[in-house]
Amino acid sequence: MASISRRNLLRGSVAAAGLAGLAACSSPLVSGLTASREVAGSLDFWNLFGGGDGVRMQQMLDAYQRAHPEVAFSAVTLAWGNPYYTKVSLATLGEKPPDVAVSHLTRMKNLVNAGLLQELRPDDLARHGLTSDKFNRRAWETGLVNGKIYALPMDTHPFVMFYNTEVCKKAGLLDADGNLKPLTSPEAFTAAMQQAKQATGAFGGVVAFTSETATPWRIFQSLYAQLGGEMLADEGRQVVIDDAKAGQVLTFLQSLTRGGAFPANADYQGSIAIFANGQAGFFFQGEWEISTFQTAKLPFSMAPFPNVFGGARYACQADSHTLVLPRQASEDPARLDRSLGFVRSLLDQSKTWTEGGHVPAWLPFQQSAEYRAMTPQSNYASAADAAVYDPDGWYSGSGSNFEIISGSVVGAVLAGQLSPAAAIDQLHTQLGNLATTASPI
Amino acid sequence: MATQTLEAAPRAATTVSLEHFDRRLRLFNRICAGVLIAFALLWLIPLLWAVDTALKPNAETTRTTWLIDDPTLDAFGRILRDTDILNWYGATFISSAVTAIGTVLTGSLAAYALSRMRFRHRNVVFWFVLAGIMIPGQVLIVPQFREFDSVHLLNTYWAVALPQIPTAIAVFIFKQFFDGLPRDLDEAARVDGAGAFRTYRTIIMPLTRPAVAAVFIFTFVSTWNNLLWPLLVLTTPDLMTVPVGLATVQGTFGIRYADTMASAVLGAIPLVAVFLLFQRHIVQGIAGTGLKG
Amino acid sequence: MSTQTAAAARAATEPRRTGAARPAAQQTRPAIGFLAPFIVLYLLFIIGPALYGLVMSFFDTSLVKPGLAGFAGFRNYAEALRSSDFWSSLWHTMWFTILTTPPLIILAFVFALLADRVRRGRWFFRLAFFAPFILPSAVVALIWMWMYTPLLGILHVSLDKIGITAPNWLGDPNWAMVSLAITTVWWTLGFNFVLYLAGLQEIPRDLYEAAAIDGAGPWQQIRTITIPMLGRTTTLVAVLQVIASLKVFDQMYIMTSGGPNFATRSILEYVYDESFTNYRVGYASAVSMLFFLVVLAVSFVWFSIVRRQEKEV
Repeated sequence: MASISRRNLLRGSVAAAGLAGLAACSSPLVSGLTASREVAGSLDFWNLFGGGDGVRMQQMLDAYQRAHPEVAFSAVTLAWGNPYYTKVSLATLGEKPPDVAVSHLTRMKNLVNAGLLQELRPDDLARHGLTSDKFNRRAWETGLVNGKIYALPMDTHPFVMFYNTEVCKKAGLLDADGNLKPLTSPEAFTAAMQQAKQATGAFGGVVAFTSETATPWRIFQSLYAQLGGEMLADEGRQVVIDDAKAGQVLTFLQSLTRGGAFPANADYQGSIAIFANGQAGFFFQGEWEISTFQTAKLPFSMAPFPNVFGGARYACQADSHTLVLPRQASEDPARLDRSLGFVRSLLDQSKTWTEGGHVPAWLPFQQSAEYRAMTPQSNYASAADAAVYDPDGWYSGSGSNFEIISGSVVGAVLAGQLSPAAAIDQLHTQLGNLATTASPI
Repeated sequence: MATQTLEAAPRAATTVSLEHFDRRLRLFNRICAGVLIAFALLWLIPLLWAVDTALKPNAETTRTTWLIDDPTLDAFGRILRDTDILNWYGATFISSAVTAIGTVLTGSLAAYALSRMRFRHRNVVFWFVLAGIMIPGQVLIVPQFREFDSVHLLNTYWAVALPQIPTAIAVFIFKQFFDGLPRDLDEAARVDGAGAFRTYRTIIMPLTRPAVAAVFIFTFVSTWNNLLWPLLVLTTPDLMTVPVGLATVQGTFGIRYADTMASAVLGAIPLVAVFLLFQRHIVQGIAGTGLKG
Repeated sequence: MSTQTAAAARAATEPRRTGAARPAAQQTRPAIGFLAPFIVLYLLFIIGPALYGLVMSFFDTSLVKPGLAGFAGFRNYAEALRSSDFWSSLWHTMWFTILTTPPLIILAFVFALLADRVRRGRWFFRLAFFAPFILPSAVVALIWMWMYTPLLGILHVSLDKIGITAPNWLGDPNWAMVSLAITTVWWTLGFNFVLYLAGLQEIPRDLYEAAAIDGAGPWQQIRTITIPMLGRTTTLVAVLQVIASLKVFDQMYIMTSGGPNFATRSILEYVYDESFTNYRVGYASAVSMLFFLVVLAVSFVWFSIVRRQEKEV
């Protein structure tokens, strides 16, 4: 009967598929049925680098694999922000985390407090030449938790200022050497923007704030920190916003969009397009967008974010990418050495990474002539030492709820939807809610 | 009524009006078919577009057109080579098969007891199991995660399969089916000296094939497609099920759209095969539920 | 799956068939053997966690700390009911339900009607409409994310060709949920289509013939015969749809991560974020319990409707 032969066919194909499946995953099969670790001599690396950074990271990973063919290496790229950290946490709880993972410096502390990272002992690190004197002082010290080491900084990525050299020349904003004249007061800043606006016929500068929360937060934090303002204290349990200083910054920011110097709405990609098309003379964003404009063959340079309010105390918002080792189910010296060796390999390739615009934290490269010759990357190296990191708190860090809340409020002020006074009220309320919630770590 | 109308009208007029009506009906049917075909083609577009994109080289995908200048299977090759998709197939197959078998076994055994056996508190047990249907699995993800965390079984296939095996609805489907089988079969078996289990195995279950097929296939497919729970417990790429794997590594592709679509197509193939092979069972299963509901 | 609640109601309301009149001996011992596998797993993985979840909701339990941590009483529930994030995610879920349920019922019904009229080639229509239904959500999400891509996606380009500027499907807060709804309709319509088609084929042809002889046109026939006779099916489809929409997670998680700016975060995604990103397991359990109450309420409403319909028959 037709049904019987069909059933046999089904049975046969199902069995075949099953066998094929089993054959394909014999080793994960064992690992999947027990809680044991998989292949010996393996190294798993998780990162959150997409776009240009992703391409450069891939180059560095390929170089590592070529140099170490004996290591069963695998890398996974996960979406930036909360999804990435959630997966790292879940994997560590599931006792099969990656060997090495990327973590923002500002998120790393929470991972430590949650007990998810391995402590890195100085003697283990010294075996691979990873001593504290080889790292950028500021990034290294900010990363210590109770004096213990948990992270190895790869870079600092500050919020910087891009400027179109031709527009600025036309606006008379460059000095004799063709570098931008420093802007050291709100008036000078606004004047420069207005002059650039004259030169472009459209806008003076552009910053992304529509459907975007990280960028508005960063520009606010840079200016606010220059005034000496703080947001949170006591590991996020208190909101300590200085209303006067915050008001000063927000009013200043709003004057830029209201006065027409900045576009009244611009999302992330749009702000890039406006600068790339020469419709704005200045662009404020993290340094990682350098490749975008190099590819567009725009005549531009970069400088540290201007010291608008700071005077002697320069500050700019920044975070650092660090390499961390998630807590493993069991200690394995060979695995540890493999992981640290991999870290060292990435740091040795700092030049490739720096091409993406980051300020290297690895001093052997950062202090070399090779780095100094890289322009415009080396223009803002000083920003790494003046970096202001996001405040401590279980709900804080890059891409966190703290940034999302603060950033959307600042964005609303820039868009003219919220007055500075109302914005500060909202910050107090929303951040206050988070501050009074019991910390889960 | 109808007959009166027929008798009242002259014969010739009736024949003509029926014919005219017939033609109008045929035209209407043709329009219906046309509209339906149009919608069906519309419905097929996403899948066809995915396959079309997957057959292009990555660079060509930025030109949005159906025509392929340089058809290639490279994207599929890259996915098979660079991702763990073969492992994902295996993992998903194992966890789906184990879950489906477990569900059929535990469900039919429990249903047999509830349907054919007499014991004290049978009603209590019945309503106790009924309560389980009211609890959506999603409400349990947090405590289940804690549970598996505490026994160090996260990141294993057990974590995926075990919570999905006890399915109250399977018990009811089997019970429904058993209730419809004549009691004399049990009587005859008892007279022959067969115990409950023998009766279950040799008499009742062979007659239950349609229900077994339906429950097995539905459980297999829904376990295969389950995302939320495996997403939480499977975090090592080589252990992931197909949905979790695809959801996790999608960030890696960036603007390599052909690769992304190739991974989607490869992710779809096993189930499309299941559908093509078991179409009748699936459709009958759904229809059976609906009609009696 | 969505067939769950349907079979449950059936099992609960249909009378049991009685067999031979001879009373059989108690079979408690073997019965325990038969029930044990199911009951053990059921207690371990369904009832146990349900109770544990309930308990955790009264504590400040953390994902990364063992044990129950500090006692919170009703504080978690109070926080949820006061939290704008909770209410907006609930609202997003309802908005999603409102966007998807009418098209999934009406379109499925219309397509089934059309398919019923067409004699040949039913397999083609079944394939076209139902094939998406068995695909994993991840595959559906990847395909539609590609279609929704700004500038390069097929939707943008096609609309551009006829002079319409496409919205930023997944990036515009006003459009994101609509885009997810469109994807969901494409994905799950097949199930309702099959249900309706089966229901249509159960309607006796003589009813139509009688009406045709009475002079009723096709449209009238549909209105007076088809729709009323499919009342039960429509109720089933509607309730299954509503309950499935309440549990939506996959599309949001993969396609928009709940964004832009949380505009598409469903209630389940809120639970996920709170428990696994913020580590606040106790609070998330409270939210889960509240969500459970909402699902219960909807199921209860359906039970009453089905009860009433069965009484009418």
